[in-house]
Amino acid sequence: MSDRMQISNLSENNFEQCTKCSICTTVCPVAAVTTDYPGPKQAGPDGERYRLKDPAYYDKALKLCLNCKRCEVACPSGVHIADIIQKARMDAGEGKRASLRDTMLANTDLLGTVANIVAPVANVTLGLKPTKWAMHNMMAIDKRRTFPAYSRTKFETWFKRHAADQQNAYPNHVSYFHGCYVNYNFPKLGQDLVKLMNAAGYGVHLLNKERCCGVALIANGLYKQAKRQARVNATNIRQAVNGKHYTVLTTSSSCTFNLRDEYPAILDEDTSDVRDSIMLATRFIYKLVDEEKIKLIFKQDYKRRIAYHTACHMQRMGWQLYSIELLRMIPGLDLVELEQNCCGISGTYGFKKENYERSQAIGATLFKDIEDARVEAVSTDCETCKWQIEMSTGLPVENPVSILADALDVEATRKANGV
Amino acid sequence: MVTNEVYKKEYDVIIVGGGATGAGTARDCALRGLNVLLVERNDYSTGATGRNHGLMHSGARYAVTDGESASECISENMILRRIARHCVEETDGLFITLPEDDLDYQRTFVEACQRAGIRADVIDPDEARRIEPAVNPALIGAVRVPDAAIDPFRLTVANLLDARMHGAETLNYHEVEGVIVNQNRVEGLKLLNKLNGEHVEVRGRVIVNAAGIWGQRIAQMAGVNISMFPARGALLIFGHRVNNMVINRCRKPANADILVPDDTVCVIGTTSDRIPIETVDDMRVTREEVDVLLKEGVKIAPSLATTRIIRAYAGVRPLVASDNDPSGRSISRGIVCLDHAQRDGLEGFITITGGKMMTYRLMGEIATNAVCAKLGNTAPCVTASRPLPGSEEDGPRESDATKRYSFGERAAIGRHGSLAARIEKDNDIDNALVCECEGVTVGEIKYAVHQLHVHNLVNLRRRTRVGMGTCQGKLCSCRAASLMGEFRHDVKGAQEDLAAFLDERWKGMRPVAWGDTLREAQLTAAIYEGLCGLDMAVNIEGKEDVQ
Amino acid sequence: MRMDTVIMGGGLSGLTCGIALAKRGKRVAIVASGQSTMLFNGGSMELLGNIDGKTVTAPLEAIATLPKDHPYSKIGADRIAGLAARAKLMLSDSGINMEGDVAANHWRITPMGVAKPAWLTLNDHLRINDLNQLPAKRVALMCIRGFFDQPNSMLAQGLRDLGFEVNAIEFTTDDITALRRSPSEMRATSLAKRLVSHNALQRLADQVNSLAGDADMVLLPSVFGQNNADDFQTLQSMVNKPLRLVATLPPSVAGMRMMTQLRHYFRMLGGNYLMGDSAVSGTFEGDRLTAVTTAKLGDMPLRADHFVLATGSFISRGLVADYERVYEPVLGVDVNADSDPNRWTQFGVLQPQAYSRFGVATDERLRCLKQGKPIVNLHAVGSILSGHDAVKMGDGTGVSLLTALAAIDDIIKSE
Repeated sequence: MSDRMQISNLSENNFEQCTKCSICTTVCPVAAVTTDYPGPKQAGPDGERYRLKDPAYYDKALKLCLNCKRCEVACPSGVHIADIIQKARMDAGEGKRASLRDTMLANTDLLGTVANIVAPVANVTLGLKPTKWAMHNMMAIDKRRTFPAYSRTKFETWFKRHAADQQNAYPNHVSYFHGCYVNYNFPKLGQDLVKLMNAAGYGVHLLNKERCCGVALIANGLYKQAKRQARVNATNIRQAVNGKHYTVLTTSSSCTFNLRDEYPAILDEDTSDVRDSIMLATRFIYKLVDEEKIKLIFKQDYKRRIAYHTACHMQRMGWQLYSIELLRMIPGLDLVELEQNCCGISGTYGFKKENYERSQAIGATLFKDIEDARVEAVSTDCETCKWQIEMSTGLPVENPVSILADALDVEATRKANGV
Repeated sequence: MVTNEVYKKEYDVIIVGGGATGAGTARDCALRGLNVLLVERNDYSTGATGRNHGLMHSGARYAVTDGESASECISENMILRRIARHCVEETDGLFITLPEDDLDYQRTFVEACQRAGIRADVIDPDEARRIEPAVNPALIGAVRVPDAAIDPFRLTVANLLDARMHGAETLNYHEVEGVIVNQNRVEGLKLLNKLNGEHVEVRGRVIVNAAGIWGQRIAQMAGVNISMFPARGALLIFGHRVNNMVINRCRKPANADILVPDDTVCVIGTTSDRIPIETVDDMRVTREEVDVLLKEGVKIAPSLATTRIIRAYAGVRPLVASDNDPSGRSISRGIVCLDHAQRDGLEGFITITGGKMMTYRLMGEIATNAVCAKLGNTAPCVTASRPLPGSEEDGPRESDATKRYSFGERAAIGRHGSLAARIEKDNDIDNALVCECEGVTVGEIKYAVHQLHVHNLVNLRRRTRVGMGTCQGKLCSCRAASLMGEFRHDVKGAQEDLAAFLDERWKGMRPVAWGDTLREAQLTAAIYEGLCGLDMAVNIEGKEDVQ
Repeated sequence: MRMDTVIMGGGLSGLTCGIALAKRGKRVAIVASGQSTMLFNGGSMELLGNIDGKTVTAPLEAIATLPKDHPYSKIGADRIAGLAARAKLMLSDSGINMEGDVAANHWRITPMGVAKPAWLTLNDHLRINDLNQLPAKRVALMCIRGFFDQPNSMLAQGLRDLGFEVNAIEFTTDDITALRRSPSEMRATSLAKRLVSHNALQRLADQVNSLAGDADMVLLPSVFGQNNADDFQTLQSMVNKPLRLVATLPPSVAGMRMMTQLRHYFRMLGGNYLMGDSAVSGTFEGDRLTAVTTAKLGDMPLRADHFVLATGSFISRGLVADYERVYEPVLGVDVNADSDPNRWTQFGVLQPQAYSRFGVATDERLRCLKQGKPIVNLHAVGSILSGHDAVKMGDGTGVSLLTALAAIDDIIKSE
């Protein structure tokens, strides 16, 4: 017994490792702008001890947590502070009676499907003053928000019409979890990925079935629905990974983080068997380049100065290195790595009327850094950061994959990779 | 009342000892209309009262071996649920049989419980695993009994508060240096006021010796002999509640066979060792004791093997030899009340000892009956029906907290019951948290300092839980020391108090200083010595009351 | 993924190594498992403050008398002054402006008003060069109402004991009062986030100007400038008396600021700072470490020519003590630690504790030993080194800075 006893201090209750050093409180973007939120230490490990004694110690203010995970990244003791908070919210039954607004914002795919059909109308309508007024007042979606535009054609439709047939011709293959944003709002990113992977000799395939990863459902407390969708995705990812031995690529840091880490940690959907095969495209591509399995050749005349912003969930995954290092491979790209601060949007959080001011205050430090960096564009791996930064700084924001695709000398790259 | 006036008065009864028994006796005497003085050499509840499991026995543990104690326990258990609601958490308990134990003992046990009047329901092991997920899943039998958790610090303070509300005087940090005897009659006590070093005398018609294991020394001063056999028990506190029910082993009482959920933590204990009476003041726990506790503890709840231990402590139970057997072989575990007039021909002197923390009320009643018999007082005892201050029927519950962000308020109601209403909470500063682990606010500290006889941080901890969380006083002890310094206008004293407090915390951490507890200690040293230079500001050599 | 050097640990010593290497054009990655213990720093660096309970006034002389297992002795007492000068330069290159003399300690003022010996102190913090010649006679100690992480009464008493005439003045502003609505979050670092805008600083300055009376100097808690020293400069320009800051209880704004500045400088030099990741294991080939696997990079280990182990002491989990032994958890290199847990500690919280001198074993060049033999491309620096005691000797930050630079010299020389 003594060989196990007190050797690994890995109690299920990982909050025990908290030494109360309070470092997490220094990075919480919410506590920085509002006193209504008790901060990650109180909401997390401190509160949890009392909630174990009596669940009535749950505090409604925990709803203000963005689940940005910055506290976990800062914690020198490895405490999963934000997970503790999400679990407490779930145990307290938050989200059981979600409002129409929260349900609508959280169901990014449902909203997308409807909006795609009526995209021209939707884009105009969502931009119109009376619509914004109605959303602001009736649904509590802030009228100052620019709603992301909806694409007329879904990415899936484009892919089936223009790309699917050619993919089997490539020597290597990957699967692609495109996510709601690529599908409904910005198919170009998906097209860029196909362009990039094809040039490197990789055919791209979609999953048999893909549901929204559920990151917004979790944030809005719709755990039950999130669990259902997680099950569908896990099944289809397994088919791709175990059946076809494809790696499943993504182009959104939040989707990636959700599929890999939140499914088991929060939704009890154990994806550990396929976790290592789900990754951001930039990591996959970097690895191929690093192992000299592929070559990327960039245009000689590409010249831009770009700032890279590490999205919260990207920081939590610790993968910004791959995106940054790939961008640095582009000879004409002058890259500035920004200090890692939260932009404040945190998925659907910033869309809510009651959070708008807070959201903009949280992002202020980042916006200032971007202004000081004197760049022509910003790059980040997260789509909601993109909306927020574009709205708040006026600068275009692009996914690293799009930048790589734009800068790529396609013909030279295809040749170098024997395509 | 000013302390000097206390010294001049003559009391009906003076009680020596500020543990649960002394406090309960003081309350009972005061409620029966007597003029009462209680003296305590340290802080209240520093002896065996504050150094046990915090378990409100159902009596089941004693059912097989000591039916009388078992009956006392269940009867007091039911009384305390009524009168001490804010000190009690009604958790219920399990007596589990493990594969290595004899399942036949379960029947013996249940029958004995029934004889003593203790509800004992045999439940299916599956049911046991369901209602208490922390229990060793290998169990082969379980019995559910009405055990509960009780906070001895709160209990003692509540008794003292009620005694004072009924005219009693209470003095802590007053140590008995001598008993004044005149012609076979005890007339008073010689005291040392440890707060200012003065030697004083107090007068009373009856002296009640309720000093626990230290009662042997008090009796000696009065010229009578009681043979006590100190039984030392060590315990471990884990960082959070692993279990929500008391878990006992269903076998003959042995080492480390009870795990109790106490407030935000849980406690495993105890060891049991007879020690020489000279060593009763050394309560430092050894590595060997820790080993025993852990080894047995994981059999009750396997997750203890990977749960952080925040401290270790030990207490001494006052076992008394039967008068007809001074060798100590036949030791009573029950309540012992000695009228020294009958026993030794010494008038005005009563010793109440033995028993258990949770039978304190009954001990108080028995002692008070003896006092009243001497003084010709015929008032009835009402302590079994009258709620303690804080535990009134219509008092608030933790869920009644109303504030925007209510952690501190909730925790305060949990600790003080209806008395939490006395805590200021109308402005942001009073609501500010000093101890973030345990939710102690500035307002609660003010209340404790001004109304609960707090002289130092250790006292404050016992009244409020400041510094009792997993960090054992990382930032809160400095915040609290600084506040105390301001309230008491003694800055130097506050620094020394802070150092003594940290030393007291370290005493409990040191025997378990590995893993996160060692990290915690290193961080505390980095802050208080490295950053703050506390070691250069104070000299704690020879400081007393480092409990 | 290939680097020239991989540094495990992103605190003061890790960043010092990283900056020195990145400046030489090396590809460097720092793996930092969370924020560092610099967040418990009071705005000073210490070289050596105490030997055997005696205060050190001339650290260079005292270092020459240290036992030979002390990291300074391994570096060589004759090299200390040179390395110290380079460390100071590196700090100022990062935007951290500190003053001090390597030959003579000055005094920093702790949150409890104790004067402790120090080597470098931030320019905006209170520093006393000579206890017989205080920098001011009358000081206004501005105490923020409702801020409990500075024990004001202790601080005031300590300053009086040093000979200052102290006028302790409680004050607040709208910004501060608003923050106190939070029962738990009124920390030094939270104040620093609120006291940033010109208007917030002006409101505070107005209070100071109207309350400071005839003081020669105004003292404020160190709650300004989480990212740089500009907020203090702005405030000073608004206050009509000389202003100095005094350290608070942690998390420390000064420590946060220094770490941000060092990290920023490192990134500017092209370094990769992997915040929130941690090294979990290493691959050895003979007497060399060839790669380090991290928790987040997974199947893409970091390969490099050189590695630096800067993961800190027990607090930072660079060392682990379990029920029966002390070990280094990432690479399993040799440690100097007592095998009997009973001797790790002693009763008496202010007594010297043996564990604080535990650490990894190295050769004279600070290269880690594994089963007694040096790993030739793995250096250990900072708090993880054995033979020093940051708490009792006041040598923590000095050891971090100087061993980092010494290790880099050795790496460069070996190439």
